[in-house]
Amino acid sequence: MIQSLLVANRGEIAVRVIRCCRQMGIRSVIAFSQADRDSLPVRMADDRVCIGPPPARDSYLNVRNIVTAAVLSHCDAVHPGVGFLAENADFAREVRDAGLIFVGPDPEVIELLGDKIRAKRSARDLEIRVIPGSEGSVENGSVALEAARKIGYPVIVKAAAGGGGKGMRIVRSGDELADILAIASHEAEKAFSDGTMYLEKYLENPRHVEIQIVADRKGNVVHLGERDCTVQQNHQKLVEESPSLAVDGALRTRMGNDAVRLLQTLGYTGAGTVEFLVQDGKHYFMEVNARVQVEHPVSEMVTGVDIIRQQILAASDQPLEIRQADVLLSGYAAECRINARSAGKITRLHLPGGFGVRIDTFLFAGYNVPPWYDHLVAKLIVSGHNRLEGIRRMEAALHELVIEGIATNIESQKKIIAHPTFRKGDYGTGFLGEVQKEGIL
Amino acid sequence: MELNELYALMEKFEKSGLSKLVFKRDGDEICLKKVITPPAAPVHAAVHVPAAHAPHEVRAASSEAPAPKTPGAEVITAPLVGTFYRAAAPDAPPFVEVGDKVKKGKTLCILEAMKLMNEFQAEFDLEIVNILVENGRMVEYGAPLFEVRRT
Repeated sequence: MIQSLLVANRGEIAVRVIRCCRQMGIRSVIAFSQADRDSLPVRMADDRVCIGPPPARDSYLNVRNIVTAAVLSHCDAVHPGVGFLAENADFAREVRDAGLIFVGPDPEVIELLGDKIRAKRSARDLEIRVIPGSEGSVENGSVALEAARKIGYPVIVKAAAGGGGKGMRIVRSGDELADILAIASHEAEKAFSDGTMYLEKYLENPRHVEIQIVADRKGNVVHLGERDCTVQQNHQKLVEESPSLAVDGALRTRMGNDAVRLLQTLGYTGAGTVEFLVQDGKHYFMEVNARVQVEHPVSEMVTGVDIIRQQILAASDQPLEIRQADVLLSGYAAECRINARSAGKITRLHLPGGFGVRIDTFLFAGYNVPPWYDHLVAKLIVSGHNRLEGIRRMEAALHELVIEGIATNIESQKKIIAHPTFRKGDYGTGFLGEVQKEGIL
Repeated sequence: MELNELYALMEKFEKSGLSKLVFKRDGDEICLKKVITPPAAPVHAAVHVPAAHAPHEVRAASSEAPAPKTPGAEVITAPLVGTFYRAAAPDAPPFVEVGDKVKKGKTLCILEAMKLMNEFQAEFDLEIVNILVENGRMVEYGAPLFEVRRT
């Protein structure tokens, strides 16, 4: 069992992991940047090591300092959290080479899944439906034109190393394909140092539905049902729910089985998410996120399974505490991401509570939100017997939440939750774009 | 040195944040050392729950408050996380001692990180006023290593 865990991350996910360590009797050590010295995870952890100046590339992405900090502070494992180095195969390898446990999949698996073209091929080899697209990468305009002609417009060009919407563009006709491909490839080159592009059929207004997986090294791969992350703005998720209105029992079983088969075949360990697009009752494999995700609490609330705990157990070579037959989806849960729109000092903070309300945050009154990092400052999670009860609880909790001193998206989250289209549940990934045109966000 | 001078020095040293002080004058040499307990982390009362396990004592030399204790001196801090060594080998003499005047480029210490020995050199001509970290200790990024005076 892991005795001492270095948390190589910040913010709410660091708090989440440290809390789990405490519950499991594991010593936690936080690696932090100079901008985070007074942050909640640094105060909460059993030990702390400063790993660099505020810019992430010199601290939270500084592999050498993080691995050295883990070794010198007598840790036997490293948890990468979300973002930063969480899906960096070289980091996972450095951690392993230093004789430490990386809480996540093996570097080889991270590498394969990080290449979206190879990941898609692995799915196709298992006869999992993928979005129709180019066979592998498209090197130039003429190859792309030929592929697009076969698939039919609109198409979407994507970066093989992609993520977060970078290097991603929709193309509606052949005239603009070559130009857009060049721009997207350049963007990908800058963001990921890899300009390799591929092409897919662009599905109009699909649902974004993902399957949560936990896997151990004993051959157990269990899915915890789906999360619907269709409410997105510029490919950034804002509201996540489980179960999805677009998924019935039969579809859930098919998606769950596909996700389990894929990760079982790849020898996956820990927590992971298989992302699909769903349209007209059909699911299309998109990609695998080889880490725990921001929205994991939604699945925790409907299954009662502590995902971070399973992740740590699996990394420790222990079996999962659950089998597929134990997983029962009960009721409904949703998460609203509360994002900062400015940095600054929190002058007043009131967090909502009560039955069915959970808030994961690193804020406290008097805390200075630094301008250097991701804008996520809190995750408001609610559960209910059904969607209506859950949504009403979310509205009440959003109204109770007070964060003063910085600008946030609380008001716009209230408007999303109150929107008739959201209430009806009949929408696709284009929903927020439409709402924005109404000018109410 | 007079005894009252020595007592005054001891008192000042006791109150200072220094762990070691070497004082040389007219052939006299005095070396004062003390164990510094790092200040307890500013724990939020509401969230501090003692862990279920015995606490390890592995506090890194802290990078807090890098302001120099000696007027006119400046502090050189650790550019990376590592183990601080004052000499090239356990039996080798230290690279520098308090009072040494060194030229730009002179090795001041070694910071070992991931089995790499990173030699850390003076960036300007300087005099070593104080050595703030004990040999063999872990230092975090930004930890004060030396107090120096430009020469």
